[in-house]
Amino acid sequence: MDTGRLKKLLLDGDPAFWALLKQQTRDAQAFDELFLLSSLRKKARARHLPDLPSVQEKIRLAIVGGYSLYPLQELIEHLCEMEGTTCELWTGDFDNYLSEIMDEASGLYAFAPQVVLVMPSENRCRYTGAFTDPREAQLAEANHVVRSLLELAARVHEKTRAEVIMTNFMLPARYDLGDYRSRSAGSDWSFRKRVNLELGLEAPPSLRICDLEFLSHRLGGIASRDERSWFESKQAGSPALLTALAREAVHIIASLRSASKKVLVLDLDNTLWGGVVADDGLEGIELGDTSPRGEAFKAFQKYIASLKQRGVLLAVASKNDYAKAAEVFEKHPEMVLRLDDLVSFKINWDPKSDNIRQMSAELNLGLDSFVFVDDNPAEIEIVRQFAPEVATILLGPDPSEYVAQLQDCRWFERSTITAEDLERTKQYQTEARRKEFQANITDMDSYLESLEMKGALSEFTAVDVPRISQLINKSNQFNLTTRRRTEADILALMRDPACVGFSMRLADRFGDHGLIAIVIGQVRDAVMQIDTWLMSCRVLKRQVEEEVLNELARLAARHNCASLHGVYLPTAKNEMVRDFYPRMGFTLTSENENRREFELSLKNYSPILTKIKITRRAYESN
Amino acid sequence: MNQTDVIAKLQTIFDDVFLEPVVLTPAISAKDVSEWDSLMHISLMVSVEKAFDVRFRVGEVENAKNIGEFADLILKRQQER
Repeated sequence: MDTGRLKKLLLDGDPAFWALLKQQTRDAQAFDELFLLSSLRKKARARHLPDLPSVQEKIRLAIVGGYSLYPLQELIEHLCEMEGTTCELWTGDFDNYLSEIMDEASGLYAFAPQVVLVMPSENRCRYTGAFTDPREAQLAEANHVVRSLLELAARVHEKTRAEVIMTNFMLPARYDLGDYRSRSAGSDWSFRKRVNLELGLEAPPSLRICDLEFLSHRLGGIASRDERSWFESKQAGSPALLTALAREAVHIIASLRSASKKVLVLDLDNTLWGGVVADDGLEGIELGDTSPRGEAFKAFQKYIASLKQRGVLLAVASKNDYAKAAEVFEKHPEMVLRLDDLVSFKINWDPKSDNIRQMSAELNLGLDSFVFVDDNPAEIEIVRQFAPEVATILLGPDPSEYVAQLQDCRWFERSTITAEDLERTKQYQTEARRKEFQANITDMDSYLESLEMKGALSEFTAVDVPRISQLINKSNQFNLTTRRRTEADILALMRDPACVGFSMRLADRFGDHGLIAIVIGQVRDAVMQIDTWLMSCRVLKRQVEEEVLNELARLAARHNCASLHGVYLPTAKNEMVRDFYPRMGFTLTSENENRREFELSLKNYSPILTKIKITRRAYESN
Repeated sequence: MNQTDVIAKLQTIFDDVFLEPVVLTPAISAKDVSEWDSLMHISLMVSVEKAFDVRFRVGEVENAKNIGEFADLILKRQQER
């Protein structure tokens, strides 16, 4: 971090100092950086460097705990001020929090705090008996620790009406005890995990947990601790942990006073898919399981869809060709997001700041409810300049990191528990009982039924060609003939009127399996020759085979074929389908060591009933 | 690096964090600087360790009686690397 410019602005008495200080504070990673920035802030205040006119909110914050509270308080004070909140601080004495909370005449209550951060001592979160004690005794003691902490928090809240933030406990990060650490509820490892878990689940709405277990997990257990700083000055952890803790505490304090964001505005090209749809076309963009990059973009869409489920509104702002952009949403089989997932779809060449302003007016939501995501720094910059209330995320160069970028943006977090949530909990419980019932069902039919499977059959389409070719060239086990084909071969087949080629996609209530079966048939002399039949092994025994056969029979009948002819060509890897055709009702017509041929008459064929709901059929324009 | 170099580098760190300018000499110590209290000391030491890429052992910093001895300690720990 370079503070040269900041120092110069300070010496020159330039108020631009404040914006840069805020920026560098946001970006600062290490303790010493934040400490330096905090020192510069104090210098600027001492010199009465004029601040930009802004409403600084004031808050009375008390911190008590089983640790030395300096330099944590300095970091918290600095971060709060940079977030627009001036902190009036009161800090308890080292490890005096129990009496400060219990004694009604203590300085804590005289201070009349609005927010109280309580940092219980980890030395009091430890099983006092032996590792070999009965588990009931160990868990009872953990529950007792939780109850005491909840009572402590409740007491602070009752006496002050303040919001209470309580830290939980870091887990040990040394090998001590070996694998036994997770076998006894009396080890610090298990005991603290239990306490942290129960504390979080049992905390009332007035208590927020500052999750030290999570923060130290994120940072690394070893990096979070610093024994020397405990012996020398009773610190809660390493400087890096104190930094993370201060940031988290300030984040929680800020979230008590501001609503989370409501709308996520997305770019399209190189944001939701790889490539530029206007140049590369529907078939050329990267999206879906064909390539690692395509998978990454699909995963990003899935995460965005999960945000929608949490209640975030989704919108699109893209400089693009409207018809081509819309076509991707309507026709691309690997798109997770569809047009009806969006509350606004702005495809034009206007500045995106204008488009977001329009959305704000249409949805009747303030600009500060919007988060804008783009891979193009120029677009981000325009929005920052012309709609500064909008939060922005500039996506990095690697789409595999897009999800993490959104997950770490901290704008769509939930903080409160509402009556609705509690109602939903009830619904979930009902649902859970239903599932438990289902889990008890052992017969296959009921199991398949419970999967709520949906199948979509489609003739080969240009968009699917890469995935089709990939499966044709990679599938070994469930592959009757193992005939390999290039993308060009497949495109040629698609133009051949005597050729039938279709694929099947399967989804169930646990998710989308994507394109999982491929069949190629050749019509010759009123016979449908099954040139290729292959399937992805992860959907075996799910009645996909039956539905594929139904479709084959249907298409054969359309081509006036009286029978299906299938052939099994053995390889080192496809033994599993050696008897596939007879299992499906075909009769063996000839056999030698290189091939087995089969036939199925369609004269009396009636479709096999399955538990898969077919939503689309091949060569039907639906 | 010798003691003078170390003190010169310490001077830049002190200039950054102290509101009142302090001129470091080998003889100066924490009690001569009003801002340099036990709290400030904790943060200051984190910055010094990072700047010199050293790690002091438990308790040894407080044994240094003045900046000269502190600079010598930094040199000693640097040479161990």
